[in-house]
Amino acid sequence: MVADEREALTRQYAAGEITWWTLRDRGLDNYVEVLGQLGKLGLRPPIARDEGPNMAARSRGRTLIRDALKTHLP
Amino acid sequence: MNRPFALIVTDTSPLLTLVLADSLDVLLRPGLPISIPDAVYVEATRVRGSPGADQIVAWINAHLDWVRIVPTDIGIDQQRRLEEGRSIRGLGEQAALEALERFLRSNPTAEALLLFEDSDVQKRRAVVDERVSLISTGEFLRELEAAGLIQSTDHILDRATARGRNVARLREIGDHDPTRERLRDQMVRRRDAPPTKR
Repeated sequence: MVADEREALTRQYAAGEITWWTLRDRGLDNYVEVLGQLGKLGLRPPIARDEGPNMAARSRGRTLIRDALKTHLP
Repeated sequence: MNRPFALIVTDTSPLLTLVLADSLDVLLRPGLPISIPDAVYVEATRVRGSPGADQIVAWINAHLDWVRIVPTDIGIDQQRRLEEGRSIRGLGEQAALEALERFLRSNPTAEALLLFEDSDVQKRRAVVDERVSLISTGEFLRELEAAGLIQSTDHILDRATARGRNVARLREIGDHDPTRERLRDQMVRRRDAPPTKR
């Protein structure tokens, strides 16, 4: 994969336009390299927005972690 | 939590992000048992000396009371594919689903939380079962941040990308190391030269 294509894909990934799954499909399948490319471009990995097909399960997940942290706070 | 519970890591990306940020311990903060399917573990650690691999192995060994590697049929298939030089893409997630199914079948009250990469959990439809919840690396870190357990989510992600960048730089330097190139040339010349009499 040429550098320009890798950079374009990484930018799309950071912007939340394509998924990690898509990156792998396009040949960028080493996540350490993805992190390195993000660092080189001054970008961060995307954080999931509150939308999409899994909202109910994700909401349960956050509540679960919040409750677990309350129980285990030092 | 009295019912059987597992936090299942579905992919290498949460492990690699956290290990590069020197923050694997944040996974232990909620006090939940962590399951890493064998295929995810192998994918993250199979190249000895690769960034974070040794740290992940050491971290798991230091926390065997909380972290376990789950053997799966997919993991066996992964080994076969590696031996045959075939692609192992996507097998980590398949192994996670196998580990999840077995875990849920083992007890009707069992519940699981799947840890996903952020873009995948937002856009790709995952398992739908009332006993299964999902969380992404970013969401997980944000909950820790809200509870005052980490400085900031961005700080951890920045550390991971900074280290990733250093790894990339070292690789580039390694690829263009003049000493290595000279040695390579020397070996090629020696290989191509006619054998000398002793």
